[in-house]
Amino acid sequence: MARFLLRRFASVVFVLWAMTVLVFAIVHILPGSVAHMILGEYATAAAIAALEEKLGLNDPLPVQYWRWFSGLLRGDFGLSITMERPAGPVIMEALGRSAVLAGVSIVLVAILGIWAGIHSAVHKGSASDQALTLGQYFFIAVPEFFWCILVILFFAVWLGWLPATGYTPIADGGLLGWAKHLVLPVSTLVLGLIAHVSRLVRSSMLEAIESRYVLAARAKGLPERIVLRRHALPNALLPAITVLAVDVGILIGGIVVVESVFAYPGLGRMLIYAIDNQDLPLMMGGMIVVTAVYALANLAADILYAVLNPRIRVGGTAA
Amino acid sequence: MAEPLLDIAGLSLAYDTARGAVRALDGVSLAIPRGGAMGLVGESGSGKSSVVLALLGLLGKEATVTADRMSFAGEDLRAAAARLRGARIGTVFQDPAAALNPALRIGAQVAEPLVQHRGLSPRAALARAVELLAEMGIPRPAAVAQAYPHQLSGGMKQRAVIATALACEPELLLLDEPTTALDVTVEAQILDLLEKLRAERGVSMLLVSHNLGIVDRLCDELTVLYAGRVAEAGRTADLLDAPRHPYTRGLLAALPRIDRGRIARLAPIPGSLPDLTQPDPGCNFRPRCPFAAAGCAAPQALRHGDARAVACHRAEAVRDLPWPQPEPVATTRAPPGASLLEAQDLARSFSLDSGFAGMFRRRAEVRAVDGVSLTLRRGEVIGLVGESGCGKSTLGRLVLRLIAADRGRIGFDGEEVPPKPPDAFRRRAQIVFQNPDTSLNPRQTVDQALRRPMERFGLARGAAATAEVERLLALVRLTPAYRTRYPHQMSGGEKQRIGIARALASRPDLLVCDEAVSALDVSVQAAVLNLLGDLRDTLGVAYLFISHDIGVVAHVADRIAVMYRGAIVEEGAAAQVLSPPYHPYTQALLSAVPVVGARGRAAARMRLAGDVFAAPAERGCRFAHRCPAKLGAICEDQAPPVQVPAPGHRIACHIPAAELARAPAALAAAE
Amino acid sequence: MSASAATAAPRRRLPRTLVVGLVVVGAIAILAILGPWIAPYDPQGFSMRMRLRPPSAEHWFGTDEFGRDVFSRVLAGAHHSLLMGFGATAISLVIGVPLGLIAAFHRGWVEEVVMRGVDLMISLPPVLLGLLILAVTEPGLFKTVLAVGLVYVPIMTRLARAVALELLAEDFVEAARARGEGAFHILVREILPNAWPPLIVETALRITFAILLGSALSFLGLGPQPPDSEWGLMIAESRPFISEAPWIGLAPGICLCLLLIAVNVVGEGLRDLLDPRMRGRGHG
Repeated sequence: MARFLLRRFASVVFVLWAMTVLVFAIVHILPGSVAHMILGEYATAAAIAALEEKLGLNDPLPVQYWRWFSGLLRGDFGLSITMERPAGPVIMEALGRSAVLAGVSIVLVAILGIWAGIHSAVHKGSASDQALTLGQYFFIAVPEFFWCILVILFFAVWLGWLPATGYTPIADGGLLGWAKHLVLPVSTLVLGLIAHVSRLVRSSMLEAIESRYVLAARAKGLPERIVLRRHALPNALLPAITVLAVDVGILIGGIVVVESVFAYPGLGRMLIYAIDNQDLPLMMGGMIVVTAVYALANLAADILYAVLNPRIRVGGTAA
Repeated sequence: MAEPLLDIAGLSLAYDTARGAVRALDGVSLAIPRGGAMGLVGESGSGKSSVVLALLGLLGKEATVTADRMSFAGEDLRAAAARLRGARIGTVFQDPAAALNPALRIGAQVAEPLVQHRGLSPRAALARAVELLAEMGIPRPAAVAQAYPHQLSGGMKQRAVIATALACEPELLLLDEPTTALDVTVEAQILDLLEKLRAERGVSMLLVSHNLGIVDRLCDELTVLYAGRVAEAGRTADLLDAPRHPYTRGLLAALPRIDRGRIARLAPIPGSLPDLTQPDPGCNFRPRCPFAAAGCAAPQALRHGDARAVACHRAEAVRDLPWPQPEPVATTRAPPGASLLEAQDLARSFSLDSGFAGMFRRRAEVRAVDGVSLTLRRGEVIGLVGESGCGKSTLGRLVLRLIAADRGRIGFDGEEVPPKPPDAFRRRAQIVFQNPDTSLNPRQTVDQALRRPMERFGLARGAAATAEVERLLALVRLTPAYRTRYPHQMSGGEKQRIGIARALASRPDLLVCDEAVSALDVSVQAAVLNLLGDLRDTLGVAYLFISHDIGVVAHVADRIAVMYRGAIVEEGAAAQVLSPPYHPYTQALLSAVPVVGARGRAAARMRLAGDVFAAPAERGCRFAHRCPAKLGAICEDQAPPVQVPAPGHRIACHIPAAELARAPAALAAAE
Repeated sequence: MSASAATAAPRRRLPRTLVVGLVVVGAIAILAILGPWIAPYDPQGFSMRMRLRPPSAEHWFGTDEFGRDVFSRVLAGAHHSLLMGFGATAISLVIGVPLGLIAAFHRGWVEEVVMRGVDLMISLPPVLLGLLILAVTEPGLFKTVLAVGLVYVPIMTRLARAVALELLAEDFVEAARARGEGAFHILVREILPNAWPPLIVETALRITFAILLGSALSFLGLGPQPPDSEWGLMIAESRPFISEAPWIGLAPGICLCLLLIAVNVVGEGLRDLLDPRMRGRGHG
């Protein structure tokens, strides 16, 4: 177990390091001058030279990389070009707000997705199973950005129940004002993911229900309730952990879209802002942070999987 | 006669499938008295496992069960099954690895029925579960109760499953192929346990099995199922001594009998199982029956005679007609010639550190083959026997250079075979696999599969190759029409013949047959064994015949080599290995085989504790940790010497050959 | 159950949902190809007199803020989504499958290199990889297709390797090795014909995600640029007019949903048809 943790942790560190190389390489090696990109097509040669000097772009690439990488290690993400302030605090503030969005969403996805999947599997073929299956087809296929448009149209424009865009800190708007701004973004984020999770949980639960050990449990004369809860469920939930980890990746994609539609000042909107405005330090830093979050979420899922799976947690032979 | 404990009459079962209704059971009747043991025997597709599920009321929604009578201790099972199962009816399913929940501790799983049916507290139930585990012969039961299924060996798992089934002291135990997934020495332990439980507790049993030997050991009565119907039923000993239904007679004629040694030919049953979507109102064995006559198209009732029921109106009439023996192939067999294959000191280890599980465990090595030497002459058949994990399949692939050896040399026809062998060796040394379902490419027709080796080695092309394909089909007794078939259009036996034909297509001198008949039903297995025997005689091909079934090996092999944990412990002519002096492992292996007609030879039984993977032996004899005849420290510390009690017979054991020779013959019936 | 044993079962009739899905996808594809000829108006023709008109007999889907006919624009944009879905998936298939097969066949350092690269790419959230590629280059349709395709390469590689590893362990492959067959024969003649069912199923399901990701990137302004009428872009551009002229966004959105659902239905239908794990199991 300790060996496993160590290996997994080492691989997270490796992924993060490789990501710094990848981000740096793509930004600096692809054709086109970085200064040109920042200043736009009509910049004067003098302005470009000045900026290149200022950013140290004339140094050899390894030196530039090391400057940036060692900064990252110290928690220094460089200076945001467009905002003229350190990128680190900007990123962290945005991360905090996105984390709220992501955290609420993933909890909802886990609870509702697993519940719906188990319900469908246990009542396989029933009207509610068929309705859920139909819903899964639909919600997996509808893009988040179109959901955003629909919910804004419906709840904000036509019904006027909820604010369409923006963000209010708890300090300003109180808990209610803060929560109001979360309702629409979260609901657009979770629908597709709930469909995805419930679909996979349904099939893993069905597999468990059709297994020999569930047949054996029924042959022991246990009531169906206990057969499902004690015998089928623990085995069906293990794959759900893996699915949830994959869905964190999809969730990150959704957050980028949803934040920019709802003008929610999180990490996703910041990334798009940085890309649109060619704010390279902000963009590179933001990407590293997103990768780190994803890698840590996967690490957490792997650890949870190992802890809940006796075949991994308890090795060796007993007799 | 008192009321039977279990009384089933007219049990029928139909499954709804895409192809239409499959009539899996058709009017099955059986009765078990209190304390009785009934064997339910049939080949795959006979519907025997469905009987168990129907009794328990655990068939799925797509199944329709009808019966005239289904009673257990006076109660109607159809109404009461949910209440009785686990409490008064215990069940043991085939594969203990699948029947135990991987996420729950053994103790909890054994204790569950006690909490449910006896109202015990979880604590008290767990304490009782530990006792039960101890009663099942599990060492350190308290530790095992705390373990998860993956930490136990197959035999231990099955003991735990049996403990669960017996937890509430049921009156009836349903056993569905309880030992089929286990090695033969472990199977023997489980059968001993079941025998003991029956004697001590008086529990009644319904034993479902394809293996007549097992049923013969455990059951007083026997019901033979064929394609969903009862063919014959009666006292086990009578029935096996004098079968009356043609199907039962055919089944026994097709069985390789280790106690009979090597007989020229087995008698296979021609044809295959009828289509269950269109049940034949008459006798459904009729198309395969050598005694079929006009009256057989009429429905056949079970005719009850003196303690025997037979579903055949001609049983009496054909009683004295012999079961037709297949024509022997006319050629006489040439004696084995010069040395063909010489393997010296072959070794191969595998690292267990692979895949997902490997990430969590320490790197471990298994010495699958550990310094084996073997010589095979032209036209000779060496049988290689051993239990799963002994390295016999690895050895078969090593001699073909299909996997790389860590060390050792291979000579073929006087020439050294390099690690990357030339085409000439590939052409002359071929392999036949165990599983007919995976040995053929599902996307290739028979013609493509058989043609490829000829093209690969430049033996024939175009029309010549077509003619050759037809010759090969004729060789394995199939018509040229099979050329256009895909694997899914053939039965298991037919696929296995194509597998053999493909191996023969390059006209090899050596065939490695890796469990080549193990996946086949008895009636089909006999035909393939006969075929292999004929090919050996007519083509002069040498076989390395690998099998876990010493009965099959005894039937085909000139010489037998017994493997245990990577090394050959005994080797010699078939007759030498099958009679004393034995290596203690050979003796245990032979006495573990459940043989038809071997009741009451318990005196000769020798049982092993544990199973193959129990403990590593770095020094000394690799069998020492399980050897019932172990001398002492010497066995654990020093590698055993190779003794030669007779020319060509070698035994690796510390016990003097003279003493080994005093062992009782393990096959009591072999005079 | 092994992959090959499953493919051995006889062919079954096409499920009805699969047929419906195929018909819808086919219809959209035909409309996308015929778009330039059947569009009633120039998709980029401004008409200031006709701004923000609701759907009517002349303008089935209404007009947008420049008076352009939304129906014509939707028709003209259809091929983008199809290209993103099918083009990107084709890229991932063409690169990923050979990589996966080779990694499975050549255990050892080749496999190490390929699979560690795959692990690395999979440990980035998919959208981020797309963003990274698009952030530093000029946006455009083919860049989007390429970016989305590259995002799914590691998934295809992993799947192809897993399927091939399973097949390589089958006896018929060992029989080919016993004949001394080379890597090419084994991979192309023995493995590939049996590997395609799971690969096709995965490809079909991937198309949905590729369209989703591609149009999301377009929506964010990282795909085709105005005045192009990619559906995601059209939806993004409709946002300022959402209350006064919702049809500008709804029309391409509903078409996109229709396409996605149809593609998804086809993928699921193929899975039911070809994937052994979804088949019902009988009793022994």
